[in-house]
Amino acid sequence: MPATETIDFEREFADVVRELRALPAAAPTGVRERVRALGEPAARRSLPRLPWRRSLLVLAPVCVLGLVVAAVVHGVLNSAPKRQALSLSRGTNHEGAAGGATLTNPGQNVWGPVAGPAPSRSLVPPAAGRHQNYDAWMRLRVKDLDALTQRTNEAMQVVRSYGGYVASVNQSTTAGAPGEADLVVRVPVAHVEDALVRLASLGTVLDRRLSIVDLEQTLRQQRQHILRLRLFIARATEQLRQPLPADVRLRLQLQLQQARADLSQATRANAGTLREAALSRISLTLTTQHATAPVKKGGTGRFERAARDAGSFLAGAGAVILFLLIVLSPFVVLAVAALLGRRAYRRREERRLLASA
Amino acid sequence: MRAVNAVTTSWPGLHVDRPSFSAVAESELDSVHRYLLFLTGNRAVAEDLTGETFEKAFRAWRRFDPGRGTPRVWLCRIARSTALDHFRAEERRRRREERYARGAPAVGEPELGPGALEAALARLSPAEREVVALRVLLELDGPTAARVLGISATACSTRLSRALKRLEEMMSDARD
Repeated sequence: MPATETIDFEREFADVVRELRALPAAAPTGVRERVRALGEPAARRSLPRLPWRRSLLVLAPVCVLGLVVAAVVHGVLNSAPKRQALSLSRGTNHEGAAGGATLTNPGQNVWGPVAGPAPSRSLVPPAAGRHQNYDAWMRLRVKDLDALTQRTNEAMQVVRSYGGYVASVNQSTTAGAPGEADLVVRVPVAHVEDALVRLASLGTVLDRRLSIVDLEQTLRQQRQHILRLRLFIARATEQLRQPLPADVRLRLQLQLQQARADLSQATRANAGTLREAALSRISLTLTTQHATAPVKKGGTGRFERAARDAGSFLAGAGAVILFLLIVLSPFVVLAVAALLGRRAYRRREERRLLASA
Repeated sequence: MRAVNAVTTSWPGLHVDRPSFSAVAESELDSVHRYLLFLTGNRAVAEDLTGETFEKAFRAWRRFDPGRGTPRVWLCRIARSTALDHFRAEERRRRREERYARGAPAVGEPELGPGALEAALARLSPAEREVVALRVLLELDGPTAARVLGISATACSTRLSRALKRLEEMMSDARD
C-alpha cells in the first residue's frame, strides 16, 4: 500500500476514520456457528488446477514441442531408404477405356531399385486375356567392352529362347569411349516377364521404363469397322444382282470397289494390331559407362532428407494452423466482442445497483 | 491476522503456503461481515449474505490460489458477487411487487445502527459505503480495493475521498 495515500486519507479524515474503526466489528454468533459448521473442504487434488492464463503458458510450448517432435519423427521415418519397389496392382493399369497406361518413371521403376541387384519378379506383367501394347526400355551397365559383346550375344540368345526375335542391334565399341549396344527385340507377351528378368540380370540396371497401352478398344473399333464393311459389301452385291438404272449401278459398283479396298486395309490393320499385342517390344541398351550420379537437390544425405521432410511437415502444420486461424478469427472476434459487451453491461448494471440499492 | 494452519500445493514452482479453509474463515469472518454490512446497509441481510459467502467459498476453495492474492481479497470478491446477486433479486422482487401490489410499503432506509455515524453511513450510497469498508475497515490498499471493485485506482481514491468527506459533513451537521 502506498504509504502517502494511507496517511493522506487517515490524516485528512482522522476523526471519521477513528469513529468508523471503533464501530462494533464482530459477526453475530449465529453466523459464526453457521460458518464453523462448514468444516474443512475435501483435500485438494494432487495436481492443482492452473488458471487458464497459466495453462496457456504451459500448453502453448507443449503443443509446439509436440509438433516439432512429430515433424522430426516424420522426417526420420520418411528419410529411411525405400526398400520396397513401387508396387502397382494388376488391374489398375489395364482397365483404361482409352486403353492407355504408361508407367514411365526414370530412376524409380516397377522392377526394383535402380543400379541395384538384378530385379525380382515385381514388374507389372501383361494382363491375361487382354490385348496390350507392352513396351519396355532398359539400360544396363556392363563391366567392359568384352563383357559388352558377350552380354549382347547373351541378350539375343535370351530373346530367341523365348520365341522372340531381334528387330535391330547397334553396337559401337570405339577405343577410349564408352561402349554401347542398342537392341530392339520382340518377345511374345506371354514370356515378357521372364525375358525382362533374365535380360536385367545381364548387368547393373541403370534405368528402366515400362509402357503398357491397352489395345482392346482399338481392336473393338477395328472389328466393328470390318463388320460394317462386310455388311455393306453383302448388301451392295445383292442389289447389283437386281435390275438397276445404269447410273445407280455404276455408283454402287464404285462404292463396292471402295468398300472392298477399305475392308482389305481394315483387316490388315486388325492383323497388325493383333501382332503388336502378341509381341512385346523391349529396347535394351548395354553400356560400359557408369551411371550418372543423380542430381542432388541440396544434398540427399539421410540427415538432410530428414530435415527437409521435417521442414515440410512443419510447413504443412503451419498452413493448417493458419487456415484455422483465418477461418476461426471472425468467430473469435465475435466471441471477444460479446464477452466485452457482456462485461460492460454487467459493470453498468453493478454501478446502477450500487448507486440505488 | 492470527496464525493459520498451512498446507502446501504440490505443483512444482508454485510452492506457496496455503492456509486451511477453517482457519481463513475464522480469521476473516468479521471482516467479511463488516464489508457486507456496509455494502447492504442491513444487518439481517448482511448476516445471511455472510453465511452464503462462506458457503460459496467453501465450495470454491480448491480454486483459491494464494499466489494471486490474500484470502481476504478473494472472500471480498465472493461477498461482493453474492451481494450483487442479492441486489438483483431484490430489484426483481420490488418490480414484481410494484406491478402486482400497488401501495405496498416502500423499501426501508438502511439499518446500520442507532448512532450518528450509522445514520450518516446509511445516507451514503452502497458504492460509497463499500469503498469505505474496503479501504478504512478492511485496510486494503488502493490498487487491491480497486481490483475488487472493478474500477481504476484513481476512481477508487476519488470515491473514497468523496465518501469520507460526505460522512464528515454529515457528522458535523449532526453535531451542530
